[in-house]
Amino acid sequence: MSGIEAALNLHRPRALPARGKLPRGLLARLWTHRGGRIGLILCLILAVLSALGPSILPHEPNWPDYASTLLGPSAEHWLGTDATGRDVLSRLLDAGHRSLGAAMLVLVSIYGIGLVVGVIAGVSGGVVDTVLMRLVDVLMTIPGMVLAFAIVGILGPGFHNLILALIIADWAYYARLARSYVLNAAGQPYITAARLAGVPFHRILIQHIIPPAAIQLAIVASLGLGGTIGAIAGFSFLGLGSQPPHAEWGAMLSESRFYFPIAPWLLLAPAGLILVSVVAVNLIGNALRDVLDSGADK
Amino acid sequence: MAAALAATLIVWLILPLAPGDPVLRILAAQGIDEPNELQIDVLRAELALDRPLPVQYIEWLGRVVQGDLSVSYRTGQPVLTEIASRLPATALLLGTALAFSVFFSLILALIAVHFRDRWPDRIIRAYTQITASVPTFIFALLVLQYVVLGLGIGKVLPRGLGWLVLLPALTLAIDRAGGWTQLLRASLLEHIHSGPVLVARSRGATRWRTLWRHALPNSLLPYITAIGVSLGAMIGGTPIIEEIFTWPGLGRLMLLSIQARDFPVIQAFVLLGALCYVTASMLVDLVSMAIDPRLREAHP
Repeated sequence: MSGIEAALNLHRPRALPARGKLPRGLLARLWTHRGGRIGLILCLILAVLSALGPSILPHEPNWPDYASTLLGPSAEHWLGTDATGRDVLSRLLDAGHRSLGAAMLVLVSIYGIGLVVGVIAGVSGGVVDTVLMRLVDVLMTIPGMVLAFAIVGILGPGFHNLILALIIADWAYYARLARSYVLNAAGQPYITAARLAGVPFHRILIQHIIPPAAIQLAIVASLGLGGTIGAIAGFSFLGLGSQPPHAEWGAMLSESRFYFPIAPWLLLAPAGLILVSVVAVNLIGNALRDVLDSGADK
Repeated sequence: MAAALAATLIVWLILPLAPGDPVLRILAAQGIDEPNELQIDVLRAELALDRPLPVQYIEWLGRVVQGDLSVSYRTGQPVLTEIASRLPATALLLGTALAFSVFFSLILALIAVHFRDRWPDRIIRAYTQITASVPTFIFALLVLQYVVLGLGIGKVLPRGLGWLVLLPALTLAIDRAGGWTQLLRASLLEHIHSGPVLVARSRGATRWRTLWRHALPNSLLPYITAIGVSLGAMIGGTPIIEEIFTWPGLGRLMLLSIQARDFPVIQAFVLLGALCYVTASMLVDLVSMAIDPRLREAHP
């Protein structure tokens, strides 16, 4: 372990929820947390809008109408139209479906890969552990964004390549955390108690080691979702993610930045949505950490 | 150092997944859209692209160790020359941003702890919360639209560098300093009730003095570490920030190279990122040992 991790306390054993069961009524406890409640409401709205997105569009999102370009907000176009006369609200909804869906896909993937690799490394130990952790060490030498840029550069710009790049660039960190959580859980006294009581190894693993590690990793993941949303928007802003004519919040920002003096809503609407999404998931992440991490202390 | 070189292997492992033939792309970039067999074969042999990939990698590695980073597909210039011409601009931007961030976060954290739970602390805490949720490039975009274009301050297209670095550097710094302030504030709060601080206080030292002289040195370790880690993230963020502020640095070279699929430059960028990370963590370890005698005893 280098000084960096030691000082950041990445591996500091945290108080675990006993036996790693989710505290009863997690949603209810998030609801009583002030930030958690706001985050839940915002996330619910965003999730419903993104899930329904493509089916409730008032207009065709990629259909230019050169007779009505750069219109301000009106009854026909609630958020106005862009430089080629496309309805901004429709494009925002369509983009939300794409942006938030991709962010979730990336996060679920790195969470899954990280957890599996971490559990394998932590449980098997020995050569397997050494090899996997060396791989993780090497991957983590390259700053995540640099690696993501490089992978997009090799595979070529495109939304699928971007998702793949972010997964390859970010899973290593989760694998390392998962491994430390697994080792931490395996060292708890109740594991020794279970082994003395004759519980078979696979049951200890499934019931007592994986769940607490999975919960702790979920807290980290919920705090990482905001960064992923920002990264997807950032790459698309540079033209390396979603390709035209498909709408994506970051891509909409770059399409509209030069019309800002005459049509500021074009830029402010997607920027606002990205901000709201990141704030919402960060609120939930912080609330989850408060609720779950303090659970065992009380 | 070995880890940084090993890191480049990752990129080479992805190379076979790259669509299209690099030779055709290079020729197309040189204006030859329908090359004949001879042209293709000559260029392929020239760039050693006809050899198996492991051989290519080892040869590449051998040249890198001697300081030769191959030739850019896009411009035909040595990659090292390309990078050297862009490096000063990025170094100036990141260096200035780093200096501002450290300055801001130190001052803000000390103020926040000194006025704990009073209004200056609340404002600073709100600021750290906001920076945690605003992606850097959106903040930069809004700064550009409102400050530069809206108020007419500064030029967007820099002719020379110089003081024009202030705007992008301040933007980066305001965004980056939030997290560091939060970290240092939490760390200071942990130490403000520690034994030595209380002793100094009871012997008549003022609150500022105990904070500055006794709590701060003890709180610096996680802060310095976070700065070291952030350096990598700052380098990774340069393409976006340089694109927005049209800053002629490495980030925009990276973007040009990505659009042209200029593999040698992309590989060099990865190597550079990894080297920066390794150097930063070594520096962090050294500085940590310099300020914390306990670490010196642990690693003699």
